[in-house]
Amino acid sequence: MALLQSGDRNATLADLVARTALADQRAFAELYRRTSSHLHAVALRILREPTAAEEVLQESFVSVWHHAGSYDAARSQPQTWLTSIVRNRCLDRLRRRDLDTVTLTRDDEEETEIDLPADGPTAVELLIAGAEARSVRACIETLEGGQRQAIALAFFQGLTHAELAQQLREPLGTVKSWVRRGLERLKQCLERAGLVR
Amino acid sequence: MNLSRPDRSLRLDALAAQYALGTLSAPARRRLAAIAKTDPAVGAALRDWELRLGALADAVPPIVPAPRVWEGIRRRLGLGVGGAESNRSTPWWASVSLWRGLALAGFALAFALGVALLSPVAERPEERIVVVLAGQDAKPVLLVSADRGGRYLTVKAVAPLSVPAQRALELWALPEGKDPLSLGLLSASGTARIPLASSAGVVLQGTPALAVSLEPPGGSPTGKPTGPVLYTGGVQYL
Repeated sequence: MALLQSGDRNATLADLVARTALADQRAFAELYRRTSSHLHAVALRILREPTAAEEVLQESFVSVWHHAGSYDAARSQPQTWLTSIVRNRCLDRLRRRDLDTVTLTRDDEEETEIDLPADGPTAVELLIAGAEARSVRACIETLEGGQRQAIALAFFQGLTHAELAQQLREPLGTVKSWVRRGLERLKQCLERAGLVR
Repeated sequence: MNLSRPDRSLRLDALAAQYALGTLSAPARRRLAAIAKTDPAVGAALRDWELRLGALADAVPPIVPAPRVWEGIRRRLGLGVGGAESNRSTPWWASVSLWRGLALAGFALAFALGVALLSPVAERPEERIVVVLAGQDAKPVLLVSADRGGRYLTVKAVAPLSVPAQRALELWALPEGKDPLSLGLLSASGTARIPLASSAGVVLQGTPALAVSLEPPGGSPTGKPTGPVLYTGGVQYL
């Protein structure tokens, strides 16, 4: 039943994207209503600044309005497509911020950051649950512990290699190779599972 | 980043993966994005990885954005008024009977439980927010609490829950005269620590009640409650 619902949801979203491409304002509004909470949460996790997350959400939907025609339903599910647009903008902004704020101390930033509680879902838990939702949990389980941890933190929290090394208390080289090998493994498994292409 | 060497496709794939994961530095990210614009193979590699990883983000608990976000989009695109808020029939949260259910008894319970469970802060009672959520039989099931200035809500079960498989419990704020606002998902056991975008006092301002509804895994797909309401409770300031 859950599968049926998720199939229905994807068909509905794909339809809304298609109608948005034809400049249907109501379809676009409905698309926003159905997906913005998820996309907002994804952006908040990476950026950790409510204002920045809202800006990215706005930019992303402005871009969706203009580029809905480039969505290819044969290649990805609509929510995946939307998530990739939002993540991409978050990462651009985050990396730019890294450059802009090298002189800022940690304290300067703290006031506008939101807290992600220590006992909320961890990045690894989100990764496992996300894979579960797409029936590809086995792909996450093929990753070794360090690989899984590093990829989950980079993915959900936007950490760089250096930040990963710091957080996981491992040498930079180790962390880099976890990420590289973990991604290779993930790709093979996801392709076998037919999740993406 | 020499992409013209013989092992190009392998190196490209590895770079695209790092790009999509987000671990590339700003300059490397910019360079790769620029190449992708003119080189279709590079563009395709980036897109493939974005989609592969994007599919794994489904489980992030949704957080409803402020109405100003949609307003901003509408303004920037010069679209007509309405849209995201349009075509609603009268939903359950607007019905009067719900509000009748949130009787004074709730206050007594909240106070008793609040003092019992939250005694360390009971000395500063006005700073604590407590909500006792009960089912139709008025038996308290969940206790939501927060410091008024705190950035998270703590949810604890005070009675065992039975959540059907493949279903999730979603906690909602029911602001007066407005649509429900998703606060987050609860675990199957009912416990949660839900981060808030601003302080609990601000998030729950003008919100007389909370509710928990039964939703698909990952939460309501629409941003509004879609399943049956299991528990409701009035917001108390202790």
